[in-house]
Amino acid sequence: MSFDADVIIVGGGLSGLSAGITAIKEGLNVILLERGEYSGAKNVSGGRMYIHALQKLIPDALERAPLERPITKETYEFYCKNKKLTFSFEEKDKKNSYSVLRAKFDRWLASEAESLGLLISYSTLVTNAYRENGGITLETNRGTLRAPLAIDASGVTSVVFRYLGLRNFTPDKWMLGVKEIIKTNVNLPESEGEARTIVGLISGVKGGGFVYTNKDTLSVGMAVTFDSLPKSEVPAKDLVESFREKLGIEGEVLEYSAHAIPYYGFKNLQQLYADNLIAVGDSAGFLINDGFTIRGMDLAIASGMIAGLAAKKIVEMRDFTKTSIYYDMLKESFVLKHLELAYSRFELINKGTTLNIYTEVLCDLLSDMFTVTEDRKTLIEYALLRLKEKGISLTQAIRDMISAVK
Amino acid sequence: MIPLLKRLGLNKYSVDQKSHIEVNTDICLTCKNKPCTVSCPAGTYEAQPDGRIIAHYERCLECGGALVICPFGAIKFRFPEGGISYNYG
Ligand SMILES: Cc1cc2nc3c(=O)[nH]c(=O)nc-3n(C[C@H](O)[C@H](O)[C@H](O)COP(=O)(O)OP(=O)(O)OC[C@H]3O[C@@H](n4cnc5c(N)ncnc54)[C@H](O)[C@@H]3O)c2cc1C
Ligand code: SF4
Repeated sequence: MSFDADVIIVGGGLSGLSAGITAIKEGLNVILLERGEYSGAKNVSGGRMYIHALQKLIPDALERAPLERPITKETYEFYCKNKKLTFSFEEKDKKNSYSVLRAKFDRWLASEAESLGLLISYSTLVTNAYRENGGITLETNRGTLRAPLAIDASGVTSVVFRYLGLRNFTPDKWMLGVKEIIKTNVNLPESEGEARTIVGLISGVKGGGFVYTNKDTLSVGMAVTFDSLPKSEVPAKDLVESFREKLGIEGEVLEYSAHAIPYYGFKNLQQLYADNLIAVGDSAGFLINDGFTIRGMDLAIASGMIAGLAAKKIVEMRDFTKTSIYYDMLKESFVLKHLELAYSRFELINKGTTLNIYTEVLCDLLSDMFTVTEDRKTLIEYALLRLKEKGISLTQAIRDMISAVK
Repeated sequence: MIPLLKRLGLNKYSVDQKSHIEVNTDICLTCKNKPCTVSCPAGTYEAQPDGRIIAHYERCLECGGALVICPFGAIKFRFPEGGISYNYG
């Protein structure tokens, strides 16, 4: 039976396009299937991209890509009932991460890929996948396609792995990301932008919120685990509106969007490769959420690039069971190394209440320090008292602190 | 608060004629808390007085949540052929 291409990529988001660009540059015969009318039509992100991987994929991306603003200011806001702890950090001229809007960005990246010769079939929905004659057959709304190697870049719902029975999804391993784009006057020079991370504003949920400054809009949203949603003070459909109202952000709403986000952590990653099959980006569960940063986009681009290079090796060997090559290359890259490094903090946050309890301890402690009465204790006495109130021993607190800075 | 339907109306939809979400409503009869009704960002699931769920599939934001929100496996979800397109980001 003949194949339609060396490699078929399912999904034209950042990971699929990066895999496609790399594989085309390597001289492979590639087809990419995307269910949206265009790349970016169905992609959702909070919108802060660390650009190191992008610059490897497209070296002059900084000059040409439709980036919004460089993030030069980080603000953290922790809410504990009637108390609020905030701190900000500014680094002018920093160009390590940018706010981006995916509807624009992915479309641009797809046009880059197409100009290199990548065949992208839009409005093409993969509806089933099975193994046949040494390859993978993909059923779509436009007919059936076959390849000896498939790259699953379909995002968190991981369609090819799922249709082959290789995925098991649970609500504690996925977050719901909801977001609005608000038209606003940004009173900042074009070379500056702010990322706000907000914890504790909506009670009940496990997760936090963000506000990113774009050119003339704000991206406002939350990422919370699905299993915590039934405990939320507001239903999911009102989550981002309540959040925005509590923050006092006003303006014309231009978009309301949502997407699931993988939340596995390094040690819980699902299968990353099988015979004839490789997972990249969210489909592989490559996401770092360590309480300070949400990183999926740079991992999506980098894992896509690695998959493109691995595909070349696999095609050359003519042995499509050797997909572990991809895993070996991943282990050497920052993708798995960073995920592993982030794991202890992931575990700490994943304990659920940890972030809230320590935030409350810190708020109470600061409140103690700023309250002057005749009965004054030392800082350490207050700290021990507040920890004890929450049922946390000093040993536990130190252990958690070490995990947090690991 | 801006009403949900107004927010959803900001996006472009190409809705399939047939629902891409199927609910086994017999299972819903035995479900007390109905987590689907509070976990969907598009307000897709609505409980009827008899306890069954109706799915307003035309609202779906395709977040994928339908694949995990029902603890009893009562929701069958596939992606629609057309569905949503976002304009901004
Ligand atoms: C609210 C929110 C906030 C986030 N914030 C950040 C952030 O600030 N920074 C960051 O780095 N990351 C962030 N992330 C994570 C980031 O968006 C993802 O990690 C990234 O988009 C993954 O890219 P991907 O290409 O792997 O998957 P996706 O972007 O999900 O792309 C998958 C593609 O596959 C297509 N597809 C799916 N199913 C099929 C099918 N059956 N047939 C054909 N095509 C299909 C889809 O249409 C889509 O284009 C956030 C995510 C969310 C939801
Ligand atoms: S779909 Fe599932 S969670 Fe929702 S009401 Fe029915 S049984 Fe309960």
